Amino acid sequence: MMHFDTKRGLRALAFAGVAMAAPLTSLPALAQGSDTLVIARSMDVNSLDPQRAFCDTCQFYLTAVYETLVTLAPDNKSLVPNLAERWEVNDDFTEFTFHLKDATFADGSPVEASDVVWSFERLKNLKGSPSFLMDGLVGAEAVDAKTVKVTLEAPNGEFLNKVSAPYGGIVNAEVAMANGAIAGEEAATEDKAEPWFLANSAGSGPYMLKAYSPEAELRLGRNDAYHGEAPGFSEIVVTQISDAVSQAQALETGQVDIAMQIDPDTASSIRSDDVTTEVVPSYNFLYVGFIPGAKGMKDVLTPEVRTALALAIDYEGVLDFTVGGAGARQAAPIPNGFPGTAGLTPRERDLEKAKEMLAAAGAEDLKLVAGYPNDNIYGVDFNIMMQKVQQDFAEAGVELELKPLTWSVWRDELGAGEWGVTAIYYAPDYYGSGQYVSYFGMMEGFPWANRAGVGDSALVRNETEEKLYAQALAASGEEADAIYAKIAEEMMKEAIILPLVSPNLVLAYRSDIEGVRYSACCNLPLAEISRK
Amino acid sequence: MTAAPDAAPGAVLPAPRRRPLVGLARAWRRLPPTAKVGAAILLFWVVVVLTIQLWPLADPLKMVGRRLQEPSAEFWLGTDALGRDVFARTLHGAVWSIPIAFVVVACAVAIGSALGAVAGFFGGWWDSIIMRLVDVTVSFPPILLAMAVAAMLGPGLLNASIAMIIVWWPIYARLMRAQVLEVREREHVEAAVAGGAPSGRILVVHVLPLCWTPTLINATMDFGQVVLLAASLSFIGLGATPPSPEWGSMISEGATRFYNWWIAFGPGMAILSVVLASSFLGDGLRDLFDRRSA
Repeated sequence: MMHFDTKRGLRALAFAGVAMAAPLTSLPALAQGSDTLVIARSMDVNSLDPQRAFCDTCQFYLTAVYETLVTLAPDNKSLVPNLAERWEVNDDFTEFTFHLKDATFADGSPVEASDVVWSFERLKNLKGSPSFLMDGLVGAEAVDAKTVKVTLEAPNGEFLNKVSAPYGGIVNAEVAMANGAIAGEEAATEDKAEPWFLANSAGSGPYMLKAYSPEAELRLGRNDAYHGEAPGFSEIVVTQISDAVSQAQALETGQVDIAMQIDPDTASSIRSDDVTTEVVPSYNFLYVGFIPGAKGMKDVLTPEVRTALALAIDYEGVLDFTVGGAGARQAAPIPNGFPGTAGLTPRERDLEKAKEMLAAAGAEDLKLVAGYPNDNIYGVDFNIMMQKVQQDFAEAGVELELKPLTWSVWRDELGAGEWGVTAIYYAPDYYGSGQYVSYFGMMEGFPWANRAGVGDSALVRNETEEKLYAQALAASGEEADAIYAKIAEEMMKEAIILPLVSPNLVLAYRSDIEGVRYSACCNLPLAEISRK
Repeated sequence: MTAAPDAAPGAVLPAPRRRPLVGLARAWRRLPPTAKVGAAILLFWVVVVLTIQLWPLADPLKMVGRRLQEPSAEFWLGTDALGRDVFARTLHGAVWSIPIAFVVVACAVAIGSALGAVAGFFGGWWDSIIMRLVDVTVSFPPILLAMAVAAMLGPGLLNASIAMIIVWWPIYARLMRAQVLEVREREHVEAAVAGGAPSGRILVVHVLPLCWTPTLINATMDFGQVVLLAASLSFIGLGATPPSPEWGSMISEGATRFYNWWIAFGPGMAILSVVLASSFLGDGLRDLFDRRSA
């Protein structure tokens, strides 16, 4: 017979206890006012190799350790010199000449044109996630030790913005090559440097990688040989704390100096005077995507039905439910404030029209399935967001079945076209709308066209967009903005990507910390942070 | 067996002529007070499940007020992130958890007892095969096995139930086998064998009716454990899918909103009450029927 009654009762208590006490990650107690900056974050590192990495954590890590030729100013719009002190662009945006300033890598060797050439070629040839930054690169050549000329096969008015992305950081070619890195065309298969980059860095930035242990911590040390102004801390520790509540508690108790992923609801519950919270608009957004190429959806998710469904969603309500109103609505899949978005009007709900359109399309009693990752991103719980969409669709007479999935299952089922509706998020890597058009545009061979068509992008192809995009890349300034605005309107007409929420970002830090800001390219520029 | 078999509900002994209600009433009087509390709580939840439509509750799936409101006279347990009434959702949650626990325990008892009885009564190869299968199954931690099965079949309450039946049947196979091994050596069974009764009839008529007590006690205790495991599976996203107001998934929603403690409080207390109640009642039943192992 069983004798576990007490234990069983205790287990029950413990389970109920979970409800009331979020698990606290044990952290080493860190003295206030120390020379170490501690940051709480749920890390999503896929690699620390600057030309392979592609993650939100990578954005600020790479920015601290490697330097780009140009970078984004604090206004999140204009480009300012970084490693390149000046640059020239030819009239049709195909040739870019950069003049490097006198800078040194952490090992004391100078940053030279050959390092830039090597880094750009490796970025292209590794064929990793950030390789799209070098799409259309014909070649980069070192004119002299301090001058680089980059040639593109087609005009690209956004190339300068692209090289401001953290993945465009310049690597010390000699050191990297000595440790197995290859820049040539065989790099995708022959390059063996990824493990080395998990333990070492080879950049010219103010910090250097000290140690990384996955799911635990990322430790940076000051680069004592830094050619610029010395950074504010001798050490930065990014410690893994998964959920917003635990991050907030660690911040309140002073275990950490900055918490990166606190949602607006949690932020409003923080009462400690030692903590500063600032809520700023972000360029991140979450969206619902329709997949007409999914199994049995070809004749169901027609443009009319998609438009009707887009009209059925209560966008104000979604904003309120997901982030308590601390966010913004977004019209097209290009973040508010990016080129071409100034004159766009976000969608409004029109339930009656939605019902009429559904009836006219013969889509009464419509049943859809939504598969989405069971996760919480930028403070938005996908389950909450999709339950709201489910309620809204129900009012229009459409039944939406929800399937929260693990990331790996979600990816598999997305590729197989198992369901017609999904939900996911996007964050920028540099300031520029081209990145969004080339990701969300329904253009032959581009990522979302393939997703929505499930391999058959002809099903969703929009040739107008293709023509406009080519024009936009050859233009600049206001002319480019106007073309991006047209593309954004095309994307809204397609009604395949429905942006729901652009959540505000909470900057939460101990009050003795200064210099914390949100950057569109680089997330959190660590070099600017110091203790008062 | 020292206990009077007639007191065990569900026993199918042909002999007793007493009125069953009198027996039940006597058993109730002999139950320890904690067990009475447990029985009352379980009865409450059963009544909730059967009469949920009659309660003046808000729709558990609809938004009824401003989101994240603290508990108040209007919303006894506040509202959740979608503005739904947590109190209504907690009571509606019983409609998911309680019947599932019944079905899982019933299926586990049926499958486990049948296989255990066959293993114990016929012995030999039957015994070896069935008991090795039991050994393999119980060598996995229950939550891990349930997670593996639920992950393989996909999320959903049906799959979670199947996973839990797979986890639970071996316990009953062992219990039943041990009882059958003991009872089949008794004189009345020998007499039946000597009388030439077929073995199937001996098992069903002369052995099984004397073997139910430990199973009954264990099933009562496991009832709470099944509720707990079902909630755990939902908590990690392998059980109920949104928007169903299942207790585990409600706690999961609440766990990410620590400062809005009331979202997880209702379902947490509901689970606590069911687990404690079934533990109390199981203890009491054991005191009553099976003093040897108490």
